[in-house]
Order: sequence, then C-alpha cells, then structure tokens
Amino acid sequence: MIETQNLSKLYNRGLYALRDLSLSVQKGEFVFLTGPSGAGKSTFLRLLLLQERPSEGEIIVNGFHLDKLTRREIQEYRRGIGFVFQDFKLIQTRTVLENISFVPEVLGVPASQQRRRAFQVLKWVGLQHRINAFPRDLSGGEQQRIAIARALVNEPALVLADEPTGNLDPDLSLEIMNLFREINAGGTTVVVATHDRELIRLVGRRTITLDQGRVVEVA
Amino acid sequence: MRALEYSFREATASLWRGRGSSAFAIVAISLAILVFGGVLLVTSNVERLLAEWSSAAEFSVYLRDDATSEQRGALEALIDESGVAIGREYVSKAQALGRFRRDFAELASLASSFQSNPFPASVEVRVRPDATVRAESLVARLAAAPGVADVRYDREWLSRMTSALEAVRGMGFALAVVMMVAAALTVATVVRLTLYARRDEIEIMQLVGSPYAFIRGPFVAEGLLQGGLGALLALGVLWLGFRAAIGWWGGPFGDIVPEASLRFLPVHLCAWLVAGGTVVGCLGGLAAARSS
Repeated sequence: MIETQNLSKLYNRGLYALRDLSLSVQKGEFVFLTGPSGAGKSTFLRLLLLQERPSEGEIIVNGFHLDKLTRREIQEYRRGIGFVFQDFKLIQTRTVLENISFVPEVLGVPASQQRRRAFQVLKWVGLQHRINAFPRDLSGGEQQRIAIARALVNEPALVLADEPTGNLDPDLSLEIMNLFREINAGGTTVVVATHDRELIRLVGRRTITLDQGRVVEVA
Repeated sequence: MRALEYSFREATASLWRGRGSSAFAIVAISLAILVFGGVLLVTSNVERLLAEWSSAAEFSVYLRDDATSEQRGALEALIDESGVAIGREYVSKAQALGRFRRDFAELASLASSFQSNPFPASVEVRVRPDATVRAESLVARLAAAPGVADVRYDREWLSRMTSALEAVRGMGFALAVVMMVAAALTVATVVRLTLYARRDEIEIMQLVGSPYAFIRGPFVAEGLLQGGLGALLALGVLWLGFRAAIGWWGGPFGDIVPEASLRFLPVHLCAWLVAGGTVVGCLGGLAAARSS
C-alpha cells in the first residue's frame, strides 16, 4: 500500500526532517509510527497527504507515484485517503452531521446519499444521537470520534492519523485506538503516528520507530 | 451543476455571516457604478440634446441694404440647388424690426427711437439634419456672393459643447475605472477575510480531494453576488437621484431643456452596468480564491 525509497525531506535551514527513509506498509496492515518529538512522524504523514513534496526519493501509495501527480490526480489520490488529526479540525459553524456529510457533498455525491452515508458512519462511531450538536458542545473524545467518522465517510483504502489521542486521556485514547482496530479489521490500511508507547504496547501492532528522520527500529 | 448550487448556497450564507464587511464591499462597488452610471446618464442626455439641436440647425444670410432683387434671387437659387436646405424664409427689414419689437417688448422705447430701420433683410435657411457639414461650404459660397453683408452659422458652440462633453466623459470614465479597480480590490480583501475565517474548512476540502470548483466556487460566487448587489444598489440610487432631479427641474432650466427631454439610462445600459458590477466582483473573488 505504501512504499518509499530513499525518501528525504530537507528544509531551508539545512535540517533534514526525513533522511533516506525506505519502508513499506502492506495493504490491510495496521502500523504505528513512533519516535520522539521532531523524529519526522508528522512530516512523513504530510508527505503522504501531499501537503508537502519530498526533497529526494520516491513514494508510491496505492499505486500512485506521488512525485508525478498532476493537480487533478492529486485530488483523485486524496479521495482514497482518510485523515485524522490531533486537533480534530472540525468545522465549528457546522453541526456534527454537516461536518461529515460535507465531505461527500464537496466530492459531488448526490444529496440523497450524503446524509445516509454520514448517518451510517456516525452510527458506527456511536454518536448518532448527537447529529444536531455543534463541535463546541462535544467532549474531546466525541470530537475525535466525529473526526474518525469524517475520515471514513468516503470509504478510504488508507487512513492516516497524526497523534489522534494527543489531546485525550488514557481511557479515551484506548477507545479511539479500538475504533482504528475495527477500521483495520474491515480491510482498511491504517497508519497511526503517536509517541504514546503505552498505547502501542496495549494495541500491539507493527511499529516503525523514527529518530532524527531515520528509521531506527521496526518491531 | 452541484458545484454551482453549492457555491451560491455557501456564498449566500457567507454574505449573511459577514454582512458587515460584505456591506462595505457592496458599497464600494456601488459607488464605482454610481459614478460610471452618473457619467453615462448626464452625457447620454446632453448628447441627445446636442443631436436634437444640431438637427434643428439653421443659418441666416444677411443682405446688404443695397442688394438687388436679382442678387437675392441668385442667392435663393444657390440655396435651393445645393440640396442642403429643407426650407428657407425671406425676412424683410420691416419684418426683422417687427420681430425685435415683439421679442424684446421691454426695449420698445429703444426701438421707437430709431430714426431709420437698422435691421437688415435676411434669408433664413433650415439645414437638413444630414447635411450640417455640407452646409458649411454653402455658407462660405454665400458669404462671398454679391449683395451679402454677412452669414451666421453658429455651430461653433455646438462643437465646443461636444468637445467639452467628450472631456467630461473621458474624465468620468477614468475616475470610474479607478473606482472599479478599488472596488475589485475591496471585494478581494473582503473575500480573503472570508477565506481566512474558513481556512480549516478549505484545508479539509483540499485534503479530501474536493474539486477546485467546490473550493474556489463559493468565493467567486461571493464576489459575484457582492458585485451584482452593488450594481443594483447603484442603479436604484441613480434612479432615485434622477427622479429627484426631474422633480426639481424647471425655471430657467426647464425653458432651455424641457423636462420631457430628460431620460433615464436605457434598459440595455442598465443591464451592462449590472453585468459590469458582477464581473468586477467576480474578478475580486477570483483573485482572492486563487490564493486558496
């Protein structure tokens, strides 16, 4: 699903965020990406989301050679990816249902299907009773579940999560990880970046450890 | 089609949410269109009046007191054969004095003090509307003809008025263009503010692979709506101003230019102004949206 060859990301000040990174993630796999702050976890996910371009090397995701994509192809590529961030990135002026149905809407899905799909994923994360609430009315755990529902509404082949439990307490963190496990059980590839070693131990999946932009351990 | 519907729905909601700053942009466009429309309104009315006055042009051939009837006949033949006149009238010395007494009754005492009639006989010629230029060469020939004291063909003030009108129109249009650019920049700034307020939403749209039509469309539509509303507001204000001017019109102005001669902008020009406003707004929105 994900294949990188000698991937490097160099910033202007001459600092390498990633250096010579070669790794692969199989289709249907659940992988943790861990390491201390500044190890390059978020940069790697940003490269996968094409929010940034690599300085050197090659990335192939789901058959897409990311360095060769046109703007239209980038749109097509991103439609196959779900993303979850530490700060949830929910739209404060929209209700829970609108936050989710907004994704199929801006992808041109017919109106009749938008709400049906949104309601399905909301039911799956157990928040179907909060459809008319606004993000400010929800707890951190609920907001993250809404963000996960939004990531899933487009039925992506790959879900990327950057510190999804960074703002949550340990119980809620495990609850969120269980959701990711369920997503993975349905055949979706999941990559979670976290520095929470305890959580990784509890979930128990393949873990790639980065430090100073290099892979230092695969366990 | 879905992108269009989505864009206008989001743009309408955004206009309402940011109604304070949107009103600012709408007023900016409105002022620019008001100046542009005002210049068009004034110049189109003056232009029409000038055309009417031009079409009603006439000249007078003043005869020397010793001009013979043969010389007068030759002049009239020259006028008739030129094809420039749609009519002519001979005004004798006595008729000219009678006109003076009638038109300037308050100067009757002056007229009665004349020891002899000082007014010359003349031939008044009404010029065909399509022959005002050809009339000038006829006037030159008549002025040189025997028995002629003078020929008056006062078109100079008309051409001066036309030149002045062109200058006013040029300055007005230049001012309007500057204001239009300023209005487009105001729209761009207001839309950019909206864009900033919705940056999370835009980021999410980009990350889910939303087409650009959905990402940029609402901002272009917002600019377009601001432009259209601004143009309609300007036309409304212009129309009210025009009605107020008509109500106030009269007195010495009414004698020179009858109220019925004044007209508001024709429908096609109003449509062009609204289209212009929407284009300016649209360009402002597009400029802002390109940075998304």
